[in-house]
Amino acid sequence: MVSSVSVIGKRIRKVDGREMVTGEAKFSGDYIFPGMVYGTVKRAGVPAGRIKSIDVTPANAVPGVVDVLVAADIPGPNLIGILPPLDQPVLASDEIRYAGESVALVVAESAEAARRGAQAVAVEIEAYEPILTVDAALAPDARKIHETGNVTFSKKLRKGEVESAFERADILVEGDYETSFQEHAYLEPETVCAVPGRRFTLYASCQSPFHIRGHVAANLGVPASSVKVIQANTGGSFGGKDDVATEIGALACIAAQRLNRPVMIAHERKESIVGSNLRHAARIHIKTGALKDGRIIAREVRVLLDGGAYASESPFVTMKTLIHAAGPYNIENVSVESTSIYTNKTYCGAFRGFGVPQVTFASESQIDELAEKLGLDPLEIRRINGLRAGDPNATGQIYEQSVGLLETIEEIAKRPEPAGRKDDDRHVHGTGYAAVAQGISNGAEGIDVTGASVQMSQDGSVLVGIGLTELGQGSRTVYALIAAEVLGVDVDSVSVRSVDTDAVHDSGPTVASRSTTVGGMAVHKAASEVKKSLVSMAALMMKTEGENIELRDGFAVLRTDESARIPIASVATAAYWTGFPLMNLAFSKAPEANFDDETHQGDVYIAYNYGTHRMDVRVDTLTGEVTVLNHLAAHDVGRVINPLGLEGQVEGASLMGFGLAHMERIQYVDGIIQNANFADYAVPSIKDRLPTATITVEDPNPTGPFGAKGAGEPPVAATAAVFANAVADAVGVRFTRLPITREDILDALKRGNHD
Amino acid sequence: MVIRFTCNGRAVQVEAEPEARVIDVLRDGLRLTGTKEGCGRGECGACTVLLDGKPVNACLLLAGKIVDRDVVTIEGIAGEDGSLHPIQEAFLDTGAVQCGFCTPGMILSAKALLDEIDTPGVAEVEEALAGNLCRCTGYGKVVDAVLAASRRMAPGADRGGE
Ligand code: FES
Ligand code: FES
Repeated sequence: MVSSVSVIGKRIRKVDGREMVTGEAKFSGDYIFPGMVYGTVKRAGVPAGRIKSIDVTPANAVPGVVDVLVAADIPGPNLIGILPPLDQPVLASDEIRYAGESVALVVAESAEAARRGAQAVAVEIEAYEPILTVDAALAPDARKIHETGNVTFSKKLRKGEVESAFERADILVEGDYETSFQEHAYLEPETVCAVPGRRFTLYASCQSPFHIRGHVAANLGVPASSVKVIQANTGGSFGGKDDVATEIGALACIAAQRLNRPVMIAHERKESIVGSNLRHAARIHIKTGALKDGRIIAREVRVLLDGGAYASESPFVTMKTLIHAAGPYNIENVSVESTSIYTNKTYCGAFRGFGVPQVTFASESQIDELAEKLGLDPLEIRRINGLRAGDPNATGQIYEQSVGLLETIEEIAKRPEPAGRKDDDRHVHGTGYAAVAQGISNGAEGIDVTGASVQMSQDGSVLVGIGLTELGQGSRTVYALIAAEVLGVDVDSVSVRSVDTDAVHDSGPTVASRSTTVGGMAVHKAASEVKKSLVSMAALMMKTEGENIELRDGFAVLRTDESARIPIASVATAAYWTGFPLMNLAFSKAPEANFDDETHQGDVYIAYNYGTHRMDVRVDTLTGEVTVLNHLAAHDVGRVINPLGLEGQVEGASLMGFGLAHMERIQYVDGIIQNANFADYAVPSIKDRLPTATITVEDPNPTGPFGAKGAGEPPVAATAAVFANAVADAVGVRFTRLPITREDILDALKRGNHD
Repeated sequence: MVIRFTCNGRAVQVEAEPEARVIDVLRDGLRLTGTKEGCGRGECGACTVLLDGKPVNACLLLAGKIVDRDVVTIEGIAGEDGSLHPIQEAFLDTGAVQCGFCTPGMILSAKALLDEIDTPGVAEVEEALAGNLCRCTGYGKVVDAVLAASRRMAPGADRGGE
């Protein structure tokens, strides 16, 4: 799109980083207002049942308690969720569907008193036999968790004819794989702070402020325009601060309305784990058929997702597994069926990767198994089958450009495996490979529009406003870079404002790695409109045509005589007085997905990020301990906007994938989570960090700003898969269930030795 | 009771119960909200402050224990003139900050380390930061930041930005 650039691609410090290293950054919990009170939710504590009675008198008697709310106190429909028909109550009134379910809100003068009050609320529940597995949920005589039954969402993808292709195949591989629930474990637990007034103001640690505004307003029984949501600095989200923020956001506003006092609700860590969505656990069956020469001709996949008590994002996660299950390969015959199921467990929803890590682990494990049967090198089988520009993918979509999978494979291939790693009595070594593709944008999951505003002041400084949120992923820095590039100014003169639903346009949810691509495109467009004014003004001032003017390094420069230059601030001032508009609100709309709902054949995403990873591991056979010696992560990101930010995304997402693959498992006993704290739920620490080397391939994406495409999610899937393959290579045993913990490895080694 | 202690170089006094948590004394009593609460159980390090130069979890520390002692929070790290400490600069330069919620605790743990050891090795950095969880960065850039800061802080080093 643009040949030479001046700030795009430079290593730039986070534009909003300074306040974070000084402690000045305000997170939701840092707000304080006169008269503020604190809310704590009372949770069911049993996974299934029916509320017989709620006695709030003992809670009201707790010193400091000022109010207790139950379902009947909610003015609106008492419903939240993602897709209609909404199925999740803000406060349960009748049926209890998971142990973390909210049944009452206690409000008190201090957080301590609110907690004591919540303990004092007496809830009598007639317990049901909980439904705790997808098998139990699907049993023909199973109790229905929701009126609609226990299937949340189910879809099929059909391409070609798998059955006849399997008959033609020389080799068949078939297997079952499983992954566990994963907790987001952002360091900041969910927190909101509601301030009453003529309109409501909600400061929220959240991912999608407009989504929250809608649900808060509905449950308050007021129009959306009566609610203003301000995204406070948000201490991580990774998909996890949508549903829960609507729940506590609505509760805080309703309490604030009743009491006419500001209300803060801050989850404790335990609540953050039991009372907000997790990553879906999955059971995946795959069958792959290939010819002797290594070409895969058919894949059949069945995905069962345990989605817990409520739908949340289950429908979209289901779709994403459906579309990604066959992997980044050119396969003529594909059949996938993905189904999400209700169980009496904490609901599952959005989590970085959105179903792709689960299916990628399964798919890539089987690709290795197939390679072994065929006697092919793991990179070779991926090279033979990997998608190239012009190939139809699993949905039959063809991209003519920006399909950099093969380049990522070659980047990995050209870095030889380390020599001289000798196994000894105690240690074995292994190397794994994995390839991934992840769709960018909402695609099949909905309309994809983003609005962004760019405003230049007379002094040449720039303000960008957009409805997509900064969650730590560096999107503000990306927007600042794009605006600076277009307008020829220094990045330091660009500010990106915080998201305030009063002041920015609804930009849809901050999901699906769409911030850089779809959001960046809107910023690019708005900045380009402002640029037009500046160029016209400068042309007038220099008595030339606009095409002779270039904006760079803070000046409008005459192309034919570079010494003729006017500071952009002067051009902006003149433009203002002349009446050229210096602000623009622009929209970027991703081309609409266009596919058949029965077969899921058609165009789904605006682009895919492709990647190939390699991991070298050493396993201690006495302890099962795995040391990752090398981790190479090559991704086709279209175009690098900020290498520093990109590496941060790849490294952080990789470690999250490693956690999924090796360390993290939510432990349920009888429907109750046993390890709802950081001592028992193992989040990777600095000692577990990976030696990730980010390798970028730039195959420009015509639908992204300067050719960029999102990159924050795909490394989760690739790392989870590559870890499994590396360990399998080292230990000589194929593990089919994530996480593959140290104990699992030790068990397998012991069994291996005894066989 | 009145809790008297030194906070960020100044003598302060706060009305608090001796068994109040120091994190609450700092955040609510002194409005120093840079100290973050991630778990309240000593398991995440987001609340790390320096007590007589040593890193401690303010969520586990009781107010009675800080009487007459020296507490440093993230607000006390930068210069009076607003110039950033070399560790703060290094965190920004290397990209060790994403959401920023773990950052105050990380920086204070790093400061305790670098005040003690001029040029720590990677293992020492790991040890010093082992109690500080970060879900965003993957830690690689955090290690880079601490090592870069140690080079800048080393006696005779140019303390300017890189
Ligand atoms: S809040 Fe103190 S260690 Fe987590
Ligand atoms: S930067 Fe988000 S937790 Fe460390």
